Amino acid sequence: MNIVSYYFNNFGKIMSALEIHIFIFLASLTFSIVIGMAISIFITQEDKKKIGRAILSFMGAAQSVPSLVIIALIFIFVGIGIKPAIIALVIYGLVPIIFNTTSGILSVRPNIIEAGKGMGLTQNQLLWKVKIPIALPVIMGGIRSSATIIIGSATVAAVIGGGGLGDFIFIGLKLQKPEMLISGALTVSLLAIVVDTIMAMIEKKVISKGLQIKKT
Amino acid sequence: MIKLTNITKTFGKKIAVNNLSLHIEKGSLTMFIGPSGCGKTTTLRMINRLTPYDKGNITVNGIPITDVDPVELRRNIGYVIQEIGLFPHLSVFENIAIVPRLLKWEQKRIEQRVEELLELVTLDQSFAYKFPLQLSGGERQRVGLARALAAEPEILLMDEPFGAIDPINRLKLQDSFLEIQEEIKKTVVFVTHDINEAIKLGDKIAIINEGNLIQYDNVSKILSDPANEFVENLLGQDRNIKALSLEKTKDFIIKDGFVTVSNTEPPENVMKKLQDKDIRLAFVLDEGNHLTGRFLFEKPSKTKKQKFIYDPDPWIAERQNNLNETLSKMLEAGEKQLPVVNRKKEFVGLIRLSDIFEEVNKK
Repeated sequence: MNIVSYYFNNFGKIMSALEIHIFIFLASLTFSIVIGMAISIFITQEDKKKIGRAILSFMGAAQSVPSLVIIALIFIFVGIGIKPAIIALVIYGLVPIIFNTTSGILSVRPNIIEAGKGMGLTQNQLLWKVKIPIALPVIMGGIRSSATIIIGSATVAAVIGGGGLGDFIFIGLKLQKPEMLISGALTVSLLAIVVDTIMAMIEKKVISKGLQIKKT
Repeated sequence: MIKLTNITKTFGKKIAVNNLSLHIEKGSLTMFIGPSGCGKTTTLRMINRLTPYDKGNITVNGIPITDVDPVELRRNIGYVIQEIGLFPHLSVFENIAIVPRLLKWEQKRIEQRVEELLELVTLDQSFAYKFPLQLSGGERQRVGLARALAAEPEILLMDEPFGAIDPINRLKLQDSFLEIQEEIKKTVVFVTHDINEAIKLGDKIAIINEGNLIQYDNVSKILSDPANEFVENLLGQDRNIKALSLEKTKDFIIKDGFVTVSNTEPPENVMKKLQDKDIRLAFVLDEGNHLTGRFLFEKPSKTKKQKFIYDPDPWIAERQNNLNETLSKMLEAGEKQLPVVNRKKEFVGLIRLSDIFEEVNKK
């Protein structure tokens, strides 16, 4: 009961924290996608495949670094506030995107690329019309897990002044107010579920039907 | 049409192609054959500049290919590879439409072309909206051929296109490919490691070993006059029988000795027609000219009265089969004559055992 009354009494505050949280999430995810895709495309060029594979294994290892470490490092070097929070989240969100995009593009079957080249597709056409659409299921998987990670880590980013729903959790902890803590946690969880559902819908829409057929 | 002059290519220390010169004639089907690693695929890939060559010169229609932008060059040369490399994320229609789209054809023209091509490779129009993963190996191969032909290239490069197909379907694909080639008359360079495929399909065969061109000649010349032991071994012991397979069924089709009737005609009429003309055989065709059965007067013998029989599922020979294949079919069926159909299953005539024997005796 405590929680419900707390929630309604502080509904305005929670909603504005949610707004900030969503803003941080969207900004971080957008940057992560743009930067991550750019890096992946760059390292999967024909003559750079060795670098690509090296970065791939580095990214595999980087996935195990806790978000708090990255956030703490950014705090040391950049300081406090919403901007450092976003920078930290972008860096953390990059990892699954680069990992999946790179491995997705590198695993497009060579005979398909060969056929594309033989038909006279330019390197750019080969990338945008063949490699990326075929790798899209893997790429979307990366974006989806990046989204989940960013939403979760955004709560942690509250410790360096990022704001958002993390404030409720940390302040609730310090003041020993469980209803405050739970309100924050609940809202974040709900947000994560909604975002993941939306992402799943987008995924279904953008991935070619031809790739969603099960082999018979 | 395609002229290779003193082409040399090395990979590291290994010489892949050694001072190779070859003139591929317009409208001919040239087979490259040799053991794996002999340089046949490398040579093929040099023609559309997928592999650069170190020394020598390749010209297409007199123009050195190094003077043409590789992307431009490849759009004008059809390319089919083993396992085809269809794009799984695109429908059959979109796969075929790739090069026309790159060449900025109008949508209407593309649609028309795709329809034509599906017809050519004998795939139903409904295939246009299927995806590669929904097709069988043979169907994919047909789409791959249609895709390579989409922008009406003069030249077609095929790198073991039927290599991954099971033997029975491979024979079918070879047959329909021959019939298609007869219709489109492209300059085709075809890499294979199967000597039977080379003999069956090729106008000319280029035998390559360890990067050297061993023999380049008409198929019959190669069979009758192998240049050396390597070629002899490649051809195998039965090369005299193989020579029979150079004759095509279509050259032995006759148009008399039978009548054709519509499938709506009652048997009594057919019987009367045959008796009037003193002919023993009638083929029944539907409105699309497809063979649906045959009527036959069995030869009267001393013990049996002459019987008039209807056979709804007669043995057939295919127009594109070689004489060898048709002969074995006849022996298998125990028939002295077989109706011949083309790849669209339309009736085209009759072939007689006696004519085949005559041909055998000529050799």
